[in-house]
Amino acid sequence: MMNGSIAAVRDAIDTLDLDNVCSLVQKCLDEGLTPEEIIEHGIGQGLDIVGKKFETGEYFLADLIMAGEVVKEAMPILKRRMNPGLASKRGTVILATVAGDIHEIGKNIVGMILSANGYEVVDLGVDVSASSIIDTARSTGARLIGLSALLSTMVHSIREVVEASRAAGLREQVRIVIGGACTSQALCAEMGADAYGETAIDALRIFNGFSQAA
Amino acid sequence: MHPVERVIRTLGGKETDRVPTFCAMVEERTYNEVLGRPLISQEKLLTNPAVRFILDRWGTPLTRYVFQPEVTRSMEKRIRAQVELGFDALWAILDETFIIIDHHTMVRFTGSRFNLQPDGHGNMTYMYREPCFRTTEDFDAWPYWPDADALAHSAYTFFRKMVSRYGHKACLFGQASAYGIQESLLWAVGFEKMPVWIRREKDRVRRFIEINEELCLKTNMAMLDAGVPVIIQTDDFAFKSGPIMNPKLIDELFGPSYRRIIKAVHDRGAKYVLHSCGDNTLLFDTFISWGVDGLHAFETTSNVDIFREKRLHGDRVTIIGGVGVDYLLTDRSRDEEVTEEVRRLIAGLGPGGRFIISPVHSLSTIPAHKLTVMLEAARRYGTYPISTPPKEAS
Repeated sequence: MMNGSIAAVRDAIDTLDLDNVCSLVQKCLDEGLTPEEIIEHGIGQGLDIVGKKFETGEYFLADLIMAGEVVKEAMPILKRRMNPGLASKRGTVILATVAGDIHEIGKNIVGMILSANGYEVVDLGVDVSASSIIDTARSTGARLIGLSALLSTMVHSIREVVEASRAAGLREQVRIVIGGACTSQALCAEMGADAYGETAIDALRIFNGFSQAA
Repeated sequence: MHPVERVIRTLGGKETDRVPTFCAMVEERTYNEVLGRPLISQEKLLTNPAVRFILDRWGTPLTRYVFQPEVTRSMEKRIRAQVELGFDALWAILDETFIIIDHHTMVRFTGSRFNLQPDGHGNMTYMYREPCFRTTEDFDAWPYWPDADALAHSAYTFFRKMVSRYGHKACLFGQASAYGIQESLLWAVGFEKMPVWIRREKDRVRRFIEINEELCLKTNMAMLDAGVPVIIQTDDFAFKSGPIMNPKLIDELFGPSYRRIIKAVHDRGAKYVLHSCGDNTLLFDTFISWGVDGLHAFETTSNVDIFREKRLHGDRVTIIGGVGVDYLLTDRSRDEEVTEEVRRLIAGLGPGGRFIISPVHSLSTIPAHKLTVMLEAARRYGTYPISTPPKEAS
C-alpha cells in the first residue's frame, strides 16, 4: 500500500496543486523517504494520471503545462538530496525547432514533459540548422532527437536533419521523432524520420519506447 | 444580389442567391501579384545596411511617423487586392499595434516581441518570438500600453476612407488594432507560463483582460461609426489537437468580455465573426453562447470536422472557411484539385445556407491565381439551390 505522504504528492500533481506541492514533498523527506521513491511513486504516478486525463480529454494542454510547473516547483527540493545520475537515467533528448521556423510552444511543452519524466533535455531552441543538431548529438552522445515544425514551408528541414545524421554516420544510432502543426505520419515517412507524435504525451510514449529498446 | 446583402443575410441565417465568398486577407506576395510589384521590394529596403542602421538607432521614435504610415498603406493594398480579386467579403485590418525596436525586432503594445523577417517572396513579414512579461515587474513597468481613444480615432479615420472606397463593392469585416484577448495574454506571458499567471497573478490577468476589452470595444465602435457592417476578431483558442485550456476556464476568464463586446456590436445592428485556429470542436458551443454570428477558420490541418460542425451548429451560427492553405492554395496544387475541393465543400456545407466559403488563413505561400480558381468554382457550384447531390460530400 502506498505511503500516505507520497500519495499526497501524487494527488498534488494530479490536481495541479502548485501551491502545496513543495510542503508535501518536504513532508515525505522529513518522514525519511528517499527522493527516488518520491519521484517514482509520487511524481511519476501523478504525471501518469495527468497524461491519461489529457488523453481522455479531461485535461487540456494548459493542464499538461501546469503539471510540468508543479513538478518544476518540487524538483529543486528533491535534487538537493538526489543521486546525480537519476536525472538522466532515461537518456538524453535533443529538441529543436527546425531551420527556418521559430515556433517553439509545442517543443517547449514536450521538453517540459520529458524533463518531468526523468529525461535530460538539450533544448537547442528555434531555427536550428541540421549541422548544429547532429554536432550536438555527436558531442553529447544523445541518441534521441525531437524535431518541431509548424510552417509547411519548412518541412524540408526535417529531411536535412535525417540526411545530416546519415552523412555523419549516425543514422543507425539516432532516433528522430517529429511533431508540430504541419507534421503527420505521412510526412514522417516522406522525410525518413523514425516516428511522429501528435501530442506531448505521444512524444513521451515514443521516446520511452526508443529508450527501452536501446 | 449585392455582395454585402448576400453576406449579411448569410450571417443572419437567411436565404441568399448563392454561397458567399470571404477572403481571409492576403499577404504582400499575393497583393503584389494582383496590384503589381513595387519598384523596390520590402526585403531589399529593410535589409539595406543604411536602413538597418537607422532602425537600430531610431526605430522606436520613427515608428509612428515612418513605419506606421507604410504599414497602413500596406493594409489598404490588402483590402484593394481582395476587392479586385472579386470576393464578396474581405478581411480589412488596421494594425497600429507595433513599435520598432531594431531592424529585426518589433514589440506589440500588449507585451509581446516579434521578429521582422523576410517572407521568402521578397517581402517582410513578422513572426512571434517571445513574451515580454517574464516577471510581474516587467508587467508593472511596461511602457507601451495602448491608448484606446487614440487608436479608436485612427480606426474611424481609416475605415471611413475604406468604406467609402470599397464598401459598395464588398462586405468589409473590420479589425482595428485589437487582437484576441486570450491570444494577446498568451503572447505576453508565454504559453508555458500562462497557466501559472492565471493561477497566481489574478489581478494582473484581470487588468490585462480589461485593457484589451476596452481596446476592442472602442475600436469596434469606431469601425461601426465609420460604416463597417461586420466586426471580425482573431483569437486562437485551440491548437491542432484541441483547446489550449479547459473550455470552462476559457468561458470564465474571457467569456464575460466577449459577451459585452459582441452585445455592443449587435446593439448597433452589426454582425460579429470570431476567427480561431486549430481544433475548436469542444469550444463551438461556448463561442455560440457568447453570441457570435459566424465562426472562421475550420483549419484543415487540425482535427476539426467542418461537416460535423455544420450539422451540429449550422442552425445557429454561420460556418466560414474550409479551403486549406497548406497544399490546396499553394503553387504545388493543380487547379482541378482546388475546383473539386470547392465543389465538395459547397455540396456538403451549402445546403441550408449559413456557409461562407473561404481560405482558412492568409499566408505568403498563397498565389493570387489559386484564389481566382477558388472564386470561379464557388460561383459555378454555389448557386442556390445547390445542384450537386449531397451524398458526394464526405
